[in-house]
Amino acid sequence: MPENPIPEQDPITSKSYAVHYSIAMMILVITLFWALWDEAWGQRPWKAFQEHWKDRYTAFLNTARSKSTTSETDVEKDPDYIALKQAYEKVSQDSQTQAADARKAVDEVSARLLAVQSVFTDRRAYVNALTYEEETETSDSAKKSKQDEIKDYKDKKATVEFPDGSKKDFTFPQLEETYNEIRDERTKKSLDLGEVLKPVTAAKAKMDEYLTDHMVDLTPPQIDGLKKKAADWDPKIVQINVADANIVDRCESCHLNAREPLKITAASMMASGEKKPDEYANALTSHPQPELLQIHDPEKFGCSPCHQGNGRATTSLEKAHGNYEHWLWPLFPKENAQAGCQNCHAADMVLASGDVQWQTINDGKDLFRQRGCMGCHRYEGYDKEPEDLNSVGQQIKQIETQKKDNVKQNAYLMKQADAAESNDEANKLNTKAVDLRVANSRLDGRLQQLDFQSHSLMQDQKKVGPNLKDIRLKLNKNWIPVWLKKPSDFRPTTKMPNFRLTDHQIQAISAYIWQSAFTDDLPKHKPGNAAHGKELFETRGCLACHSIGEGDQLQGGVFAANLTRVGEKANYDYLVRWVHNARQRTRPYCPYEKKDIGPEDYAKKGLPYQFDLEHSRCPNDGHELQVQNMTVMPSLRLAPEDAEDIATYLMTQKKQEPTSYADAAFMDDPNLKEEGKKWVRHYGCSGCHEISGFEDEGRIGTELTFEGSKPIERLDFALFTTTAERGGENAEPITDKEDLARLPDGPAKEPWYDHKGFFEHKLAEPNVYDKGKVKGELEASRMPNLHLTKEQVLDLTTFLMGSEETSVPASYQYKPGDTRHDIQEGWWVIKKYNCMGCHQFIPGQQTILMGLKQYQDIQEQLPPKLLTEGARVDPEWLRKFLSNPALNNTDTNRNGVRPYLKVRMPTFSFSDNELRKLVRFFQALQQQPLPYIPEEVPTLTAKETDMARSLFSSTAAPCLKCHATGDPNHDKIATAPNFLLAKERLKPDWVERWITDPQAVSPGTSMPSGLFKQGQSGTYVFSGPVPATFNGYEGDHRKLLTDYIFQLTPEEQHRVASSGPKAAVQLPSDRKHAALESHPTASGGSR
Amino acid sequence: MTIKKAWVGSTAMVALGGLLLLGACNKGSEQSSNSAAEKEAAPAAAATPIDPATVGTVSGTVTMEGMAPKMAKIDMSQDAGCKGTNEAETVVASGGDVANVFVYVKDGLGSRTFDTPKDPVVLDQSGCKYHPHVLGVMTGQTVQIKNDDPTTHNIHPTPKDNREWNESQPPSSPALEKTFAREEIMLPVKCNQHPWMKMYINVVKSPFYAVTDKSGKYEIKGLPPGDYTLAFVQEKLGETDQKITVAPKDSKTVDQVLKPAAD
Repeated sequence: MPENPIPEQDPITSKSYAVHYSIAMMILVITLFWALWDEAWGQRPWKAFQEHWKDRYTAFLNTARSKSTTSETDVEKDPDYIALKQAYEKVSQDSQTQAADARKAVDEVSARLLAVQSVFTDRRAYVNALTYEEETETSDSAKKSKQDEIKDYKDKKATVEFPDGSKKDFTFPQLEETYNEIRDERTKKSLDLGEVLKPVTAAKAKMDEYLTDHMVDLTPPQIDGLKKKAADWDPKIVQINVADANIVDRCESCHLNAREPLKITAASMMASGEKKPDEYANALTSHPQPELLQIHDPEKFGCSPCHQGNGRATTSLEKAHGNYEHWLWPLFPKENAQAGCQNCHAADMVLASGDVQWQTINDGKDLFRQRGCMGCHRYEGYDKEPEDLNSVGQQIKQIETQKKDNVKQNAYLMKQADAAESNDEANKLNTKAVDLRVANSRLDGRLQQLDFQSHSLMQDQKKVGPNLKDIRLKLNKNWIPVWLKKPSDFRPTTKMPNFRLTDHQIQAISAYIWQSAFTDDLPKHKPGNAAHGKELFETRGCLACHSIGEGDQLQGGVFAANLTRVGEKANYDYLVRWVHNARQRTRPYCPYEKKDIGPEDYAKKGLPYQFDLEHSRCPNDGHELQVQNMTVMPSLRLAPEDAEDIATYLMTQKKQEPTSYADAAFMDDPNLKEEGKKWVRHYGCSGCHEISGFEDEGRIGTELTFEGSKPIERLDFALFTTTAERGGENAEPITDKEDLARLPDGPAKEPWYDHKGFFEHKLAEPNVYDKGKVKGELEASRMPNLHLTKEQVLDLTTFLMGSEETSVPASYQYKPGDTRHDIQEGWWVIKKYNCMGCHQFIPGQQTILMGLKQYQDIQEQLPPKLLTEGARVDPEWLRKFLSNPALNNTDTNRNGVRPYLKVRMPTFSFSDNELRKLVRFFQALQQQPLPYIPEEVPTLTAKETDMARSLFSSTAAPCLKCHATGDPNHDKIATAPNFLLAKERLKPDWVERWITDPQAVSPGTSMPSGLFKQGQSGTYVFSGPVPATFNGYEGDHRKLLTDYIFQLTPEEQHRVASSGPKAAVQLPSDRKHAALESHPTASGGSR
Repeated sequence: MTIKKAWVGSTAMVALGGLLLLGACNKGSEQSSNSAAEKEAAPAAAATPIDPATVGTVSGTVTMEGMAPKMAKIDMSQDAGCKGTNEAETVVASGGDVANVFVYVKDGLGSRTFDTPKDPVVLDQSGCKYHPHVLGVMTGQTVQIKNDDPTTHNIHPTPKDNREWNESQPPSSPALEKTFAREEIMLPVKCNQHPWMKMYINVVKSPFYAVTDKSGKYEIKGLPPGDYTLAFVQEKLGETDQKITVAPKDSKTVDQVLKPAAD
C-alpha cells in the first residue's frame, strides 16, 4: 500500500457528484419524454380528437345499427313491399327460360365472334403494316410491288376454327365481312336479352327504390362499412387540397363527422357518463346544413372559403381557427357564420336554397340598403345607378368623338379615292369610306341605346329619404327642428338616424333646407271622408310597406314610414298629391345645367310646362331630366277623391296638435342659412335626401366593400384598444342603457379586439370611439345612431364581416353567365320595391299582408302567390302588365287581372331596364327559355267545342261561378280572373297543370284540387259526372278544357254565362232522402 | 456507490413510471358505451288505466250573457242549387242557450292516450250549409265528407297546425275521407264557391268532448275521476275555461255563461 496519505480534501473520494448527475439525468430524461410526448401529441392535438372519434363514433354506430335493422325488416313486412317483391319474383320466374335462351344465344354468338376476331385482327394488322410500307416507299415500282403483295396477301385464304369444331377458309375481304356480320348479330342478340330482362330490372329497381324510400336510416351493410372504416382508422391528417384555389384545409382532422350523411348531434357524441357535451363532442357533429354541402362540394370548396380560419394549421385550436394575432381571416363565430356567404355571394341580394332563406345575411344586406348606409358609404353593387349613369355618359362622349373622327376620315378617304391613280386603288379607298359610314350608323344605334339606358337609369335612381326641396309644401315648419333633435323620439321605427346635433346645428340646418326649398303653389283640396280613407288604407295594401300603431300595436311593414303621427307633420294638400302619385315632382331637375327647371324655362322656348316620363327632355338643352320624385313609393291608381279620403284619414293620425309645436321663426333667418349649408355638407344629408345645391355631392363615409378584411390596426378602437384586448370587468365602453341593449351579446366581458367587436360597438353606439377624446365640432364622429335592435346589429355585423377581399380565386365568386344571372339581377329589383311585402316568391315565405289580422279569415283576398309566375304567364304579357297593371289606359282605378281584390297591384313606373330584369327574372326562376314561343293551341271542332262548353258550364265544374266575366253584377262575387285574359296571358301547359292540382301550384288558393283524375291510359278525365256528350270520348278532358279556354271569345263567354249552369245531374234518391230527413227545412235536390 | 445506484435506479423508476402513466392516460377514455342514450329512452311512467266502474259524467248548459245578436240573413241567390235556411250561424242562441259550443277536456288527463275510433264522423253539405256547424273529431279519426246538394262544393280547411287542402266535390260524387293528425281547436273550413259556408272542426286527442245542441246542452261521458280543465269554445265568443273535479261515479252538472266579445 503506498504511504501517500489520502488528502483530506480529495475531490475524487470525498465529494460526490451523484446528486448533480442524477438531477441532470432526470432533467434529460424528462426532457426526452416531453419531447417525445410533444412530438406525438402536443403538436398534434387532432390525434386526441381522432381517438375520441373512434370510440364515440363506433358506439354511435352500434346503436344506429339496431334501429336500422328493425326498420329494414319493418319495411320488408310492408304489404306494398311484399307485393313489389312478389311482382319481381314473378317476372323473373316468367322470363327465366326466355332469358336463359337469349343469354345462350348471346354467348354462342360471342364465341363465334371471338373465333373470327382473333384471325381477323391478326390479318388486318398485317394488311395495315403492308399499306404503311407502301405509303412510305418512294419509288413507283416499289409501291407497285407492295400493292401486289397486299393483293396477294388479301387473296390468301386463312382458316377459322369455329367453336362448334367446324373450320372454314376465308379470303381477307370475306373475313372482314363475316366479322362485321357476326358483330351485328351479337349486338342484336344483346338487345334481345335486354328486352327480355327489361321487366325484371324494372321490377327490381322499383323494389329497391321502395326500400330506400322507406328506410329511415342507413342499411346495415352501409353501417358495417362505416364501422369498419372507423375500426381501421389510423391517426392521420385529413386534408382537402384544391391546388388551383390555393385551399389546403385540414379541418376534418378533428371535425371527422363533418360530411357524415347521418345527422350527428353533440349529444350523440358525448362520452358515456358525461352530462354536457365536451369539446370533442362539439367538434364531432355533422355539418348542420348538409344541403349546403351538396351545392358546395367540399372537395372543391374546402371549409375555409366559407368559415375562414387557418386551414393549414394543426398545432392548436387557436391556430387552426385563426384566432390569433396576425391571422387576417379568423373563423367566423357561429352566430356570424353567414358572413362566409358574402365572400362569394356579394352580388346576390337574396340568398335562398330551396325554401331555406339565409336570414341573417339577407337581413344584413336589406338593412344596409333600406337604412341608406350606401348614402354615406360606397359599397360595390349598392345604389349603383348614379355610377352607371356616369359611365353611360362617358361612353356617349367617347362614341360622339369617334363618330366625328369617322366623318373626318370618311371625307378624307373619299377625297383620296377621287384622286387615286388606279381604279383599283380608288375602289379600295371607297370601300373603306363606305365601311366608316356603316360604322357610324352602327354607332348611332348604340348611342340611341345608351340614351334609352340613361333615361332608364335616371328613372331608377332612388333616394332613401324624402325630397327636401319639397319641405315647404309638405311639412309643418315648426315640426322640423323637433324631428331633427332625435327622430326616433317622434317615430321609433324611422330610418332617419340620430345625428346628435346641437341646438344650434339644428337651427342652422332647418334654416338652410327651409330657405332653399321650393315655394311653388299646391292645388287646394277639400277635406275627404276619413272613415272611407281608413278603410282604403287598410285594404288597398298600404300596410305591406307602411305601418301604423306603435309598440305592440304596430301593424304592417317596416319597409316604409310608420304613419302613427303623420298628422302632426304633414300638410294635407301635399299629402293628397303624394298619396295619389308620390312620384309627382314639383319641378324637374336638369343634371346637366345643375338646376331645377321651372315654368319660365319652358315658356322661353314656347313649350307647355309639362314634364313626365314621356316628356323628360330639358327645354333648354335637351338633356335628360329627373322628372320624378326619387322615391320607390308607387302609384296605386286611386281616384282623386280616394286619395283625399286617405290623406284625410292620415291627417287624423296624431298624438298632439300640429299647432302645439313651438314657433321656429329662426328658420327664416338668412344668416343661419349659410351656416346651415356647412352642416348639411358636413353630415352628408344629401346621401339620403334631395337637397337644393347638393345634387352632385359625394359620399362622406369610407367605402365598406372590403371593410371586413381591413387589418385590425386600421380599425380605430381609439382609447379602448387595450381594454378591448384585455377584456375583463371594465371591457365595455358603452354606458348608455339604450345603446347597451343593442349589443347582440350584451356588455363585453371577454376581449373584443376583433372585427366583430369593432362593428358591433360601432353600430350600437356610433360615436363610442370618441369617448375620452378631445375633439372639435368638426372632428367628432359623424356617423349617426341608427337605433338598431340587437338582431339588426348582428345582421349588419355579419354582413360587414363577410365584406372581404378574400384569397379565394375570382372564379369562386358567384357570377353566373347564364340565366342564373337574371335571377340575381331580378332580386335587386324585387327587394328595391318590396315586392315580397305582398307576394310570396319562395315556398313558406311570409308576406307582410299574410300576417295582418284583416286577412286571417279572407285569405283569398291576399295578393297572388308568385311561386310559378314565369311558367304561368307569357313574358310579353307580363311586361305589359308590369308597366300597366290596370291593363287599361283609361279605366285605371282597378286591378287588371283580379278586379275582385281590394288590395291593389300598384304602378311602379318601372324603367325599361327594370321591366327587362323583372321579366327575365320570373322566366329564369322557372327555367323558361327566352324568347317565349307560344305553344300552338289546336282549334276545336264543333263537336269538341260543344263538349267542352257543356263541361265548362256543368254543375260539376261551375267555372264561371267564381271566375269573373266582366258582368259587374256577377263580378261582385267573383274570386278568380276572367278567362278572356287567358289567351294572351297564360301558357297552355301551365293551365293544364293548374287545373289538375291548383293546390300544388299555389298552396291555399280558392281553386279546388281534384277536378281531374288520371285514367288508366294516362289521360286525365273529369272526376265528377260528365255531360252526356262525353260518352265514348277517349281524349284528355283536361286538354279539351284548356283548349276551349284558350279559344274562348267574349260572345261565347257571354252566352255560357247567361245560360247559367245546367244542373244536369240527378241526385240518387236514397241520398236525397237522407238529406231531407236530417234537415227537414232543406229541399236539396230540387232544381 | 450504493447511493449512486439508488439514485440511478430511482430516476429510472420515475421515468418508467411516467412512461406507463402516459400510456395509461391515453387508454383511459377508451371504454365507452352508449348508455346515455339508453337511459333517455326509458319509458315514461305508465298512465293509470281507466276503470269503467268509477267513471263519471259531466253535463250542463251553455248560455250567454245579454242578448244574442240577431242572426244575419245570407243571400244564397247566386247559386240556384242552394236552397237552405238563409241565416248565418255565427252565434246560434235561442233565449240565451248557445248552440255549437265545443266543450272538451283541455287538461287533466295526464299522459293517458286513447285509441282512435274506427267509425268515421260525418260532415254533410246540404242546403249549401255544413251539418254540423261545429264538429269534434279525434286525431287520426276519419272525417267523411258528403255532398247532398245538386251543386258543386269545394272543401277548404285553413288550419294552423295541420296541412291545408282544398278539394272539389261535385254533386253525387263519393264521400271524401280525410284525417287530421294534429290537435287543433276551431279549425276553420270553408267553401270558396259559397262564401257564407263555414264550419269548424275540432281535432282533439281524447274522446272527452261534446258540442252543445240547440238548447245549449252537452254531455261528456266516461270521464275517470280527477281534476280537469274544461274548455268551452265558441267561434265568436272565444274560449272560456272552468276547473272541475270529478269524483268516482260522479254525475256532475257544469254550466257555463259566455260573455259577448269585447267588440
